[in-house]
Amino acid sequence: MTRINPPKDKEDRIGSVLVVGSGIGGMQASLDLANSGLLVHMINDEPSIGGTMSRLDKTFPTGDCAMCMISPRMVESSRHPNIKMHTLSRVEAISGEAGNFTATIVEKARYVDPERCTGCGACEPQCPTKVVNSFNQGLDKRKAIYALFPQAVPNTRAIDPDYCLYLTRNVCRKCEKACDAKAINFEDTDKRHEIRVGSVVLTPGLKTYQPEIRQELGYGRLENVVTSLQFERLLSASGPCGGEVARPSDGGHPKRLAWVQCVGSRNSHNANPWCSSVCCMYAAKQSIIAKEHDSEVQSTIYYMELRAFGKDFDKYIEKAKNDAGVVYKRAMISEIVEDPETKNLIIHAVGDDGKLVWEEYDMVILSIGFEPRVDAAEFSRIFGINTDEYGFAQTSKLRPVESSRKGIYVAGTYQGPKDIPETVIQGSGAAAQAMMLLGEKRGTEVTQVVLPDEKDVEGEAPRVGVIVCHCGTNIAGTVDVQKIADAASLEPGVAHAETIIYACAPDGQQKIRDLIEEKRLNRVVVASCTPRTHSPLFQDTIREVGLNKFLFELADIREQCSWCHMNDKENATRKAIEIVNMNVAKTRNLVPVSQASVGVEHTALVVGGGIAGMNAALSMAEQGYGVHIVEKSNRLGGLLRKVRTTLEQDDVPAFLKGVIEKVQERDDITVHMRTTVESFDGFVGNFSTKLSNGTVVRHGALLIAVGGQEYQPTEYEYGKSQRIITQRDLENRLVEIDPAPDETYVMIQCVGSREEPNNYCSRICCQDALKNAIAIKEKSPETRVVILYRDMRAYGLKENYYRKARDLGVLFFLFTPEQKPEVSVEDDTIKVTFASAVLDKDIEVDADYLVLSTGLRPQPDQEEFAKQFKLTCNLDGFLLEAHVKLRPVDFPSEGFFLAGLAHAPKNLEETLSQSLAAAGRVGTLLSKNSLTVSGVISKHNRDICMSCLACVRKCPFGAPFIDEDGRVSHNEVKCTGCGICAGVCPAKAYQINYFRDDQMLAMIESVTEMK
Amino acid sequence: MAIGEEKIEEPISPEKQREIPDDWKPNIIAFACHYCAFAAADLAGVMRLPYPPNVKVIRLPCTGKLDQVYILRAFERGVDGVFAAG
Repeated sequence: MTRINPPKDKEDRIGSVLVVGSGIGGMQASLDLANSGLLVHMINDEPSIGGTMSRLDKTFPTGDCAMCMISPRMVESSRHPNIKMHTLSRVEAISGEAGNFTATIVEKARYVDPERCTGCGACEPQCPTKVVNSFNQGLDKRKAIYALFPQAVPNTRAIDPDYCLYLTRNVCRKCEKACDAKAINFEDTDKRHEIRVGSVVLTPGLKTYQPEIRQELGYGRLENVVTSLQFERLLSASGPCGGEVARPSDGGHPKRLAWVQCVGSRNSHNANPWCSSVCCMYAAKQSIIAKEHDSEVQSTIYYMELRAFGKDFDKYIEKAKNDAGVVYKRAMISEIVEDPETKNLIIHAVGDDGKLVWEEYDMVILSIGFEPRVDAAEFSRIFGINTDEYGFAQTSKLRPVESSRKGIYVAGTYQGPKDIPETVIQGSGAAAQAMMLLGEKRGTEVTQVVLPDEKDVEGEAPRVGVIVCHCGTNIAGTVDVQKIADAASLEPGVAHAETIIYACAPDGQQKIRDLIEEKRLNRVVVASCTPRTHSPLFQDTIREVGLNKFLFELADIREQCSWCHMNDKENATRKAIEIVNMNVAKTRNLVPVSQASVGVEHTALVVGGGIAGMNAALSMAEQGYGVHIVEKSNRLGGLLRKVRTTLEQDDVPAFLKGVIEKVQERDDITVHMRTTVESFDGFVGNFSTKLSNGTVVRHGALLIAVGGQEYQPTEYEYGKSQRIITQRDLENRLVEIDPAPDETYVMIQCVGSREEPNNYCSRICCQDALKNAIAIKEKSPETRVVILYRDMRAYGLKENYYRKARDLGVLFFLFTPEQKPEVSVEDDTIKVTFASAVLDKDIEVDADYLVLSTGLRPQPDQEEFAKQFKLTCNLDGFLLEAHVKLRPVDFPSEGFFLAGLAHAPKNLEETLSQSLAAAGRVGTLLSKNSLTVSGVISKHNRDICMSCLACVRKCPFGAPFIDEDGRVSHNEVKCTGCGICAGVCPAKAYQINYFRDDQMLAMIESVTEMK
Repeated sequence: MAIGEEKIEEPISPEKQREIPDDWKPNIIAFACHYCAFAAADLAGVMRLPYPPNVKVIRLPCTGKLDQVYILRAFERGVDGVFAAG
């Protein structure tokens, strides 16, 4: 941990952070903070962490299973030495000030001792009480003793005191009898404790709209009307119907599906006025996934406006339309009625042409929106922060994650409706803010573990210990564990084999440590559950008594045997023996793996001196790191120099001036003007970059914030008249000249966007049009403003400005890409002609000004630039991040980060959030004095390598390289251990630690042994 | 067959199909990526989804690590099927 002696006023700050909420945003903030050497207290009011994302089936655009993406993060959060999890807890009060808060935490009684509970679940079948399963959105029942979901973290069960028979009526206690681990504790009580923290990050998440109030849609009354979150659970393989979508009324497979958009959103009369930002995209995703489940499914989406404003979103909508055959109907729904016999649903709607249509469906999904939690008002009172009129945390567009109270930061949907990547971005951004506040206190609250020296086992004959876990009855109930131990003891190299009730319980761990000493074991196999969650635990256990972590293997005989073959006990035992023996065979061949470490340069290099680069630089400098900014032009500020205000009326030039001044004032930020990167070398923590001004910068991290460009239009007679201008021109003009009452302004949206060859949404143009339209109307209410649009993408709370523009009398007319407006310029009069579907006629307007809403483009040399750093771009030329959802500011290569327009079009607030996030991610890296290289990496044998370059071409991480001798060498710091190099190497010059060929072949030979 | 007469066994050939005994179960090895397919096999267990027990999973760091040698060795040793998932 890098630590500088703190100045006097910062001495009493505390190096720990309270994170309230443990959804994907809270976990991101917690992991970033914990990885930067701060202690994190993660508070969550549910029995498991995971939040809303854990309830989703899949995520677009990749179709990855949400649980598969989130569960490694959940496990990492629970196992991180710097994160203290407090589930079933909430904050009751908080006092103090930034740097030094005291929080009172109330932890509800769990009635299950987490120290003893092994998560085996033997209690659940015994519990007689069935409770509506809120995790599955009420679609099925759970027990009164329960885990929130199968992959819950912590895996400890909890008893629901509102339903438990013993706790409500003093009878039953069946779970207590079923629990061999003696973990049930009915004497448990609510606990109250105080913790001291330097900062607070609030990520409490959201509530979904309850659609019962919209009687015309029939939810709660008509069985086959479900919410979109219920449909996620119906699609989910771990949901109530195992992933086979079943209709609630009869369990049949619905074929005709309809989604109704904007339920509870964009309706200021009897729902929420804002746009929930995510429903358009999840409806498209659900319709695609539904089609994947059942190719006969026909989907229809009833929408008001298609808000596919994010990176590659429009392409995904195209995929829904073209590949999954989804029909999009722009229509308002007047009611849904049920056919009493078939329980099918009939939707009444007004179509594009104004005619009433009736359509029949098997099932209707209501795309419900987000709203602040029920306890939002109380929550803001407890933390002493301001909210907006709706209950979302109040933030400024220029300081997107700062609450009204110093030292308290917010992220995710509590700050406003947003999707997963934006929540992750704000999680990292809020973490960066806390790191800025507490930078000097890194490493002061966390404890360092001291381990004994490793025993030297090299040259010793293998003495493998095999421990077969009963897992209560989870394993022992199906397979004969004694038989497994007996069979294992006959295997060569096995010095000892025995069974144990719970290997992972504290006494089980002690038993393993004792056996290693007693029986002089030098390798260990535990046969129990999955290595994915439990290997690290056992590896730590054997390391505590001096065995190298990699002298261990876990044989999965629970998830992959006893739980799947419950009805075939004899064969299950046979398979378990084979699984254990093959892991014994591998373990015999295991060798100690040393994990090398490399130093870290505590300096970052930022390419691009726009607002993204500067904002990130200020954050990194405040955290305590040196920063170099490389800017190719002769001015800082980038594209933002041309912007006057945000949609929300913040003074942008004043803000930008302040940022530039701060950057120039700081000694720890070096700005290289009129400079580019000449050459680049090195690896994470140790990069060396030569700039065109001759400077060589040694740095640990690289942030790419090269920005984008404004599109220069060629469409709509641009250039033929002084009065055909862009939104940016208009914005600047409105500062100097007031519009006249008799003037007409016509705006055309999506100029050069959402069409080939630039088929993406530029995201900011609708906001710009609304901003300028409102400005005109406020200055001169008589002036006519006409906006010709395809979809007004006023997402989130920006919907208010769309409504405001309509209220001010701005006229909105729809056009389609097939029938675009036509512009003619004659003697300096501009005529705009467009089709009106409602009037079924063309409308012609004489415009005094024609304003083109032009979009954003990547830098023209982006592809070239990307090649220099071995990065990739998407089809539109924007840089591609490591993972669209969960690693939005990282690149796949370690030590590379990304922010701003180089990533995708976005507005100022989003750019600021993202640049903070990048600064936070850089902070987690630069806080370390050294980086430990993962043990599971590829080892290259240069002596037998023929330098055929197969590995150099195939490695996605650029680890193999051509060295000074013109031969292949391998950089282990870049290696992730995927083994692709080993797979393609014809000379077998690569071996992966812990997955060496002799080890894998030993497994294959064991499992194919003729008996 | 008279005593002492040499018995000539026909070699196994693809043209001549051998009779498959009724109780015959193929022996299958699955090579699974640690991050996805191995996790999927775990989830099958968590959800108690039954499948025949004659498949054993070998965990790889990535299916990119699946060497042709592993597949060939498995077949050479008489395995009936190899399943690669990742």
